[in-house]
Amino acid sequence: MDTFINQALLKPLELLGLQVLNVLPNVLAMGIILLGGLFTAWASGSFVERLLRVIGFDRLCDRLGMNAALLRGGVKTDPSRLVGRSIYWTVLVLASIAALGALNLTPINQFAQSLLAYVPHLVTAAVILLAGYFLSNFVSRAVLIAAVNAGLPPARLIATCSRWGVQALAGAMALEQLGIAQHIVVVGFGITWGGIVLAAAIAFGLGATDLAKGFLERRLVGRSKPGAVDDLHHL
Amino acid sequence: MNTSLTPLTAATETRLEEVNSTEILVGIPSYNNADTVGHVVRAVSVGLAKHFPGCRAVLVNSDGGSSDGTPAIVARTAVDFQYLFIGDQQSILHRIVTPYHGIPGKGSAFRTIFEIARRLKARACAVVDADLRSISPEWIELLLRPIMEEGYDYVAPYYLRHKYDGTITNSLAYPLTRALYGQRIRQPIGGEFGFSGALAAHYLDQHVWESEVARFGIDIWMTTEAIASGARVCQSFLGAKIHNPKDPAADLSGMLMQVMGALFALMEQHEDLWSRQEGSRPVPLFGFPYEVGVEPVHVNMERMVSHFRQGLTDLEPIWRQILTDDTFTQLRDTQGTSGDDCRIPDELWVRIVYDAATAYRNRIMPRDHLLKALTPLYLGRTASFVHATQGLTSTEAEQKIEALCHTFERMKPYLIEHWQPTPPQSIAPAPLHHMTIDVGGDHGYLH
Repeated sequence: MDTFINQALLKPLELLGLQVLNVLPNVLAMGIILLGGLFTAWASGSFVERLLRVIGFDRLCDRLGMNAALLRGGVKTDPSRLVGRSIYWTVLVLASIAALGALNLTPINQFAQSLLAYVPHLVTAAVILLAGYFLSNFVSRAVLIAAVNAGLPPARLIATCSRWGVQALAGAMALEQLGIAQHIVVVGFGITWGGIVLAAAIAFGLGATDLAKGFLERRLVGRSKPGAVDDLHHL
Repeated sequence: MNTSLTPLTAATETRLEEVNSTEILVGIPSYNNADTVGHVVRAVSVGLAKHFPGCRAVLVNSDGGSSDGTPAIVARTAVDFQYLFIGDQQSILHRIVTPYHGIPGKGSAFRTIFEIARRLKARACAVVDADLRSISPEWIELLLRPIMEEGYDYVAPYYLRHKYDGTITNSLAYPLTRALYGQRIRQPIGGEFGFSGALAAHYLDQHVWESEVARFGIDIWMTTEAIASGARVCQSFLGAKIHNPKDPAADLSGMLMQVMGALFALMEQHEDLWSRQEGSRPVPLFGFPYEVGVEPVHVNMERMVSHFRQGLTDLEPIWRQILTDDTFTQLRDTQGTSGDDCRIPDELWVRIVYDAATAYRNRIMPRDHLLKALTPLYLGRTASFVHATQGLTSTEAEQKIEALCHTFERMKPYLIEHWQPTPPQSIAPAPLHHMTIDVGGDHGYLH
């Protein structure tokens, strides 16, 4: 009877106890890493948020049209807080991965390593998207003003096209960086742009022959329609 | 003080050594002006021989790389004084024909002229455009004599122009300069100026030669800098100004950007000066004013109004950033609905200019974008002015401009209120003193 109790009941419990004792330091380490990560995430997020407020990051974003874009997208949080929260969550996710690694379980370790290896690509893609966004705003505003000053009726359409063109380019570059369907993105982008340019050329050639002729005459020969412009001396 | 020398070509350096020094220097900036530059050179030569026969004089042509032989014409143009009743020409006129360095533009051409004036220790200088058709020898006397004999440092031109000629001057440069700095200089961006050698040296010492000043901004910069430095300023009546027509396809937007950019940048720089200035006072006028017929100017109202209306629709988000809500609402509400009807009243135009200046100062967007986005507004205002002055004589149109100037002055508190959170205390305008050269300090050359 004693043997049965020892073999059938106590032995598994002893093994379980040993296993728990083996894992306990790892679990403890995971908890400590998680707590430390939580604190670091909170501290770094708050610090960056305050720093950005001090250096006037919100005003800069306002000038660049970021705030308006965020509002259009239903985001009412200011950019400094957004960046602060992003840093908070980034640090927390990294800390969580590190904490899982502390358990020293092979599948989790492999997952954590592949995730960490992907982080630089994610960061690069995010930077590309952000830069593309700012550039598209700048370009579209410059194009809009130039088109209005040139008296081109579809000024807003041209500006919108330039905005989406730059953003699409940035998106394609970001996807390529992430390794998502690289060839499809490049080929798709080429086909789309080639198609647009060809369509525009055909449309201009067939539908706006006189306009093209007038434009070339003004540019190359210096002829213009009498009375088309005034002879004001502005200065 | 920046005493670095503006680079000159080796040939020019040699010529400077030959000439050594001069009393008078007349500069002609040029770029492809073969049609008119010969006449300008003759007028300058005769003017110097007739009115300053005993003075050493130099004519400097600062050329921007003309391809039509402009510099060669300047070098070989001769004058037969025999038929001009000039018998006592005592000194020959030296000519220096030189290309200029730096950003292509009138300002860079002037910089080279200033440098040569400094090297030759010129006492009095004048600059005249190379595209003038109406310049006469008397212009040279009128631009130089106030400096040579009356102790002035800066002579601005005073022309008779068609009521629609010089619209940037009439709607912006003159009223704004007058309201800000308190001096009624009617043609602050005229193109022809007289100035002392000391003032030329002061101009050279400013770090502005890579900015809009290097292009069309040079004229307003020279005038404002002369006022701000405490120089004695006057005007000379030159009669009608007729010059070769500009390229009709010339970029108005770029021209406006350069002038407005220089005006607003100067506002930032001289904030202490203009925020204390109240009202304005007349500036002495030399010469004999007379009436003269001026060339008619054709105006395409429909095109200007069309540009403005498109701006109101397409640039609305940008204008909303530049203008206050109240100003934008007024702008939208005061528009006519049909044809070439466009009415931007004086008060609204002044608010637009003051709002734009404040937005420029606060850098609410890239400054190039801000300035270029104002082009349709300027065209709308020009159309409004044309609308309001159709059928009026030049004198009556001038009264309208005078009324606009009063509005600019009356609404200056609006600018000060928006420019800075707490308006400064009202102080009487600081008296202008005649200058002496400060040889020891870096700050302020005029005392």
